[in-house]
Amino acid sequence: MSTANTLRDYLKPGYYDEFDYHWAMTIDLDRCTGCSACVVACQAENNLPIVGEKRFSERREIKWLRIERYWQGEYPDIKLRFLPMLCQHCDQAPCETPCPVAATYHNQDGLNTQIYNRCIGTRTCAVYCPYEVRSFNWFTYTWDEPLEQQLNPDVTVREKGVMEKCTFCIQRIRIAKDKAKDDDRRRVRDGEVTPACVQSCPTEAMVFGDSKDPDSKVSQMLNNPRGFKVLEDLNTLPSVVYLQKVEEQGHGHG
Amino acid sequence: MASNILGLFRYEEDFIDAAERLKSAGYDELTLMSPIPLHDAEKVAGLGKSSPVRRFSLAGALLGAFGGFALATFSATVFLLPTGGRSIITFPPFLVIAYEMTILLGVLFTLLGFHVVSGLPAWRDVPYVEDTNVDRFSVVVEVDEKSDPEAARRILDEGGADEVRDLGEY
Amino acid sequence: MAEYQEPTYAEVNRDVLRTMLVTGPKYWTALGISMTVAVVCFFGPWFYQIHVGVGAAGMNRSAFWGTYLSNFIFWIGLSHSGTLLSAVLHITQSSWRKAIYRSAEAMTLFSLVTAAFFVMVHVGRVWFVHWNFPVPNQMGLWPNFRSPLMFDVMAVTTYLTASSIFIYMGSVPDFAAVRDASTGMRRRLYTIFSFGWRGTQKEWHTLGWAYTFFAVFVIPLAVSVHSIVSWDFAMSIVPSLHQTIFAPYFVCGAIYSGTAGIVSVMFLLRKFLGLERYIREIHLDNLGKLLITLSLIWTYINIMEVFTGWFSGSSFEYEAMKFRMFGFYGPLYWEMLLFCALVPLLMLFGKIRKNWRYMFIISILINIGMLTERFLIVATSQPRKFLPDAFGFYFPSPVEISITVGSFAIFTTLFLVFVKWVPCVSIYEVKETLQPLRKRAT
Repeated sequence: MSTANTLRDYLKPGYYDEFDYHWAMTIDLDRCTGCSACVVACQAENNLPIVGEKRFSERREIKWLRIERYWQGEYPDIKLRFLPMLCQHCDQAPCETPCPVAATYHNQDGLNTQIYNRCIGTRTCAVYCPYEVRSFNWFTYTWDEPLEQQLNPDVTVREKGVMEKCTFCIQRIRIAKDKAKDDDRRRVRDGEVTPACVQSCPTEAMVFGDSKDPDSKVSQMLNNPRGFKVLEDLNTLPSVVYLQKVEEQGHGHG
Repeated sequence: MASNILGLFRYEEDFIDAAERLKSAGYDELTLMSPIPLHDAEKVAGLGKSSPVRRFSLAGALLGAFGGFALATFSATVFLLPTGGRSIITFPPFLVIAYEMTILLGVLFTLLGFHVVSGLPAWRDVPYVEDTNVDRFSVVVEVDEKSDPEAARRILDEGGADEVRDLGEY
Repeated sequence: MAEYQEPTYAEVNRDVLRTMLVTGPKYWTALGISMTVAVVCFFGPWFYQIHVGVGAAGMNRSAFWGTYLSNFIFWIGLSHSGTLLSAVLHITQSSWRKAIYRSAEAMTLFSLVTAAFFVMVHVGRVWFVHWNFPVPNQMGLWPNFRSPLMFDVMAVTTYLTASSIFIYMGSVPDFAAVRDASTGMRRRLYTIFSFGWRGTQKEWHTLGWAYTFFAVFVIPLAVSVHSIVSWDFAMSIVPSLHQTIFAPYFVCGAIYSGTAGIVSVMFLLRKFLGLERYIREIHLDNLGKLLITLSLIWTYINIMEVFTGWFSGSSFEYEAMKFRMFGFYGPLYWEMLLFCALVPLLMLFGKIRKNWRYMFIISILINIGMLTERFLIVATSQPRKFLPDAFGFYFPSPVEISITVGSFAIFTTLFLVFVKWVPCVSIYEVKETLQPLRKRAT
């Protein structure tokens, strides 16, 4: 690599020519019933602490995925909208740049990663995130016996002072990539990686996969004309696309 | 053997007149001390309009400018962690870092320059009288066998010195 | 009113050094109280927070930043006082700065130290806070210089260094005066501090040049420091924070609150150290004029913020602005406008501007207003970001309130220690203003 080439690479916005994989997710709001199975699955898979009623009332819960609930209209014409909100893994993430110790960055799979060991807890990333998907460990939460038996050994447990958020179940992605390497395959096949939330959705509202793979299910869903991105005008380039709910009258509402 | 003669003045003009007269009489080893900075006295002492300190400042500022940008660039290239869709070497933030380092090194080098140019801290014994830091202006003339101590004393006395003292050797 | 008698050079030395060398019981009481309050109100709760986690503060998932950061900004703002007075007025060769700039510079330095404490209180894992510094380490990791917080680290470190050097070098001839007037251990100590200063023309010449260069460096530094601090907010995309006005707004606010701080401290210095002959009405008058100018600029910027928020037509901006002006903290917003925009208008009248008591009260009110302003920026912008589901509320916890009070005690302690170690009025510069004593009386 000549110096000129290296310099050109370093001056390229985003650095990567192209990602190895570009993990993306679509969430069909027409299918979402707001059952919160995804929230529970995420909590189980990623060792999210149970903060308790007191802390929850202080708005200190750890939530990587939350179901946003919006009411529309007056009784008896009330409509309820659910918006499962998780880290959008923005390609131009506003949260990555302000971390003073580089604890969050964009990796070669298009994921916005959080490095727990490096985080010193300035919480700037959480302030900068427009989707408010980041959670901070205000205390060191512990699990009462025997709940610590259900912890996932593939995922670390975070101590106080560390920021965390949805990782698209990076541990499952990593296991799938390792398996693909062991099998002498060059790429992970579509369907081999499902994050906990996608896996547990009873209506299959969530689809996850590699958007670089034109044959993957998620690539087809991304082409759906109902698709929209939350807060698109902010130009964060999120990797999560929502599919508008289909109304009875045929007018879509986000 | 060298000796030092001290003349203490109460008024600024007398002080400067006497110093000028001593200088024109050929006494080169003059030390002029005052409790406040005096532009005229500095001129008599032969100090020009500028000072070598500014070269230290400039060196520090330049080093800081380049060093700051180099620090930011180097640290961004050790581990390539793109953030926020920006490039690895980004100019607006790195220029801010360079700006701060310019000032930091400029200040530190100016401090160094002050010590180097002024010769402080002074390690040897030098003539000094405490009154000179309160409300007296003092002229210390160093005389040896070649120069005339009596003439120096006379110039100081006639110039209006409050007190003329023999400080001995230093 | 007695005719003002200018002090002689010897009297200047005697009066200023007396403040250092003579210590009465009132001083020890004050020092004792402020140290106790600092330990009990700041360090105690802070160590409790380190033990338990940042959750001891009132921040939550809608407001990750709280009073720690707003206090940090307040103290950095307060630090701009000395720089403006000392450096800017040195370059413009204003003579009225001479008696007050030493204390103002000390205020700068100690505000910065207090602000540095708040950085450590604010982070979640304070035992790793040294990772912010670009020093080679075992991990081979470097901080992320693209971050506005890293600009902050570099700027505040530089400002601390430059301010300490600035105040120290300016005090060297005065350390020599202390050395000459003292005996024993103190004399030995100040001989070292003064580098053996004699007052030769070479020393004055070099000091004058070095000092001017320090001033020239420090002025753009001060402007950049608070601009950089404002960019902690302005570089986010949070609706009411993402504005280009923030850099000038914060710098203006900083100088404003700093100058008000100087008036407060000068009032106390005069009263308790007997420096009425040196800190006079002309200083108060000029500080007052500065304050009213800054108040008008500050008011204008605030009005423009409201205007541009409304004019933008952005529902996010509108919601954030509504929350700030009429939400739970609405009364605080109007209190801020009252103290920082309306009350200072009284200073347009010379009678008020030249009266020490009125100016002291006005300056305290201004600083309360400015502290409120910083708090509002933090507390009313985060709970109203973009997604309504994530709207929330933030109220400081007792730990935070205690730490805020304790920070004032830390500042007071440092300042009280300063008063006994460094002459709080610059002896040689005051002498420079005493014209007639230099010429022969004819």
